[in-house]
Amino acid sequence: MNTEQQTTDNGQTGIKPDDGLIVLKNITKRFGNNVVLDDISLAIEKGKTTVVIGPSGCGKSVLLKHTIALMRPTSGEVYFKNKRIDNLDDQLLTGVRAHFGYLFQAGALFDSLSVAENIMFPVRQHCQITRFSAVEELVRNKLKMVGLDGLQHFFPANLSGGQRKRVALARAIALDPEVILYDEPTTGLDPIRADVINELVLKLRKELGVTSIAVTHDMKSAYKIADRIVMLHHGKIIADGDADNIRSHPDPIVQQFIKGEISLKELEQLQKTSAGSSVRLPCDIED
Amino acid sequence: MFFAIALRNPMIGTAIYKLGEEVGNVGQFARFAWRSAVTSMQSVAKSDTYPLIWAQMLLIGVYSVPVIMITGAFVGMTLALQAYDQLAGIGLEEHLGVLINISVVKELGPVLAAVMLAGRVGGALTAELGTMKVTEQIDAIESMGTDPVKYLVAPRMLACLLLTPALIVYADLLGIIGGWFISVIHLHINAKAYWSFSAYGVDLWDVGCGIIKGFFFGGAMAVISCYKGFNCKEGARGVGQACTEAFVMSFISILALDFVLVIIFKALYSTFWPLKSLV
Repeated sequence: MNTEQQTTDNGQTGIKPDDGLIVLKNITKRFGNNVVLDDISLAIEKGKTTVVIGPSGCGKSVLLKHTIALMRPTSGEVYFKNKRIDNLDDQLLTGVRAHFGYLFQAGALFDSLSVAENIMFPVRQHCQITRFSAVEELVRNKLKMVGLDGLQHFFPANLSGGQRKRVALARAIALDPEVILYDEPTTGLDPIRADVINELVLKLRKELGVTSIAVTHDMKSAYKIADRIVMLHHGKIIADGDADNIRSHPDPIVQQFIKGEISLKELEQLQKTSAGSSVRLPCDIED
Repeated sequence: MFFAIALRNPMIGTAIYKLGEEVGNVGQFARFAWRSAVTSMQSVAKSDTYPLIWAQMLLIGVYSVPVIMITGAFVGMTLALQAYDQLAGIGLEEHLGVLINISVVKELGPVLAAVMLAGRVGGALTAELGTMKVTEQIDAIESMGTDPVKYLVAPRMLACLLLTPALIVYADLLGIIGGWFISVIHLHINAKAYWSFSAYGVDLWDVGCGIIKGFFFGGAMAVISCYKGFNCKEGARGVGQACTEAFVMSFISILALDFVLVIIFKALYSTFWPLKSLV
């Protein structure tokens, strides 16, 4: 694991492309004047689950999209299996992306396709289908894994949020990928469904030996699934270690985030603003 | 010197920034258009994309037939009513067929059919792709190693390219029937004279020019609508804005392309038939 990075004279961190299965080297991402990722270096170890935590809007999803070149860095390099991918054109990336499964925050299921067609989609794109019954069997198997066998002919609009997320997970694992990227896998789910997803993540690592990167701010989920936790704050990595390291991290920002506590400054500000009506409504509300 | 003044004046600075942004957008659009055209041409050679193209042809082409026919019919009927009084005033009402049919097949049929398609199909394409963009469905396609331009843009572009000319034929046909209905049935112009003057005045070249315009109008509308969908901003407002921009841009492009194509067709006509063009 590459938690310690040496900085060279020219400011580049001494991370090497072969330090992990996926390596992000000195990644900076700007949107206009807004720096979302600020010279981040990270090596993802094969077969392990790395969880990226941090407050909303800190660039977690942007970081995740860089690992599969869905976003290109303003500066820096991304490596997968020791091969640079951030400068590849889309055609060359097709082969690389077939090694990845991506669970999007809201599922990103295709509205116009049924559950079965959604799961078949990556299979159709990458495999020459000779026997349709084999694909149907594969779909059934993936749906069984996420506990939704029987919903093949449903459309995404007819599913609940939790079901959509599980179908999206079934689609993400359809090609038995080496790496699965989870963007907020438990957000918006009830605690039981969230735990089902956590167990699925653990099961996939155990049974398929996949490498996972999960982005979340659900600390219960992070502690449960993570081999390594990385915390992002203002575009920089401010903490990196296993669950115990993070629990005992000395940085107050890390402690405040993992405990889910409001800062004293924010609390003072909140208390100064009274909930009552020092500002009157500009109109009377009619009965 | 100029830059020093510009940097000190925030309004000039903002204007330069906006101009730079617009120039960047034009470059981005040109790249998208080129990529879409190349990918579409490649898709023609690959039979695995045919089901996607058929599906889009059904949505874009077949379902647009009624509205295009209605548009064409009203154009023909309105032209007949408007032009009758002027021609009857100078005793040339039997020439009404030439006026109506040449206007319909050369200009009004193709342009109005394309504008109608830009509203019906272009708006739907932008809204669909824009929604897919904001709900990360386009990212999902890309993350699964599929080129979204190949999967989403190429079938739509091919369907628009191939079917806009076909729809123009429907608009022309109904325009001609609409003109005949008002002229012969309602205004009692001699049917034989109506058709013989029409046949004399309208060449295959005129009909062909209108249909060829359809390729350009369809291509422009598809590229603009898909580009706006792919680059749509977040939220319901973003999708709505993208649809409006796509329609306005498509409309202006259709009119501008029509102007350019008329110049080209006239030049070609006078090259091949130098004497006939003077008649």
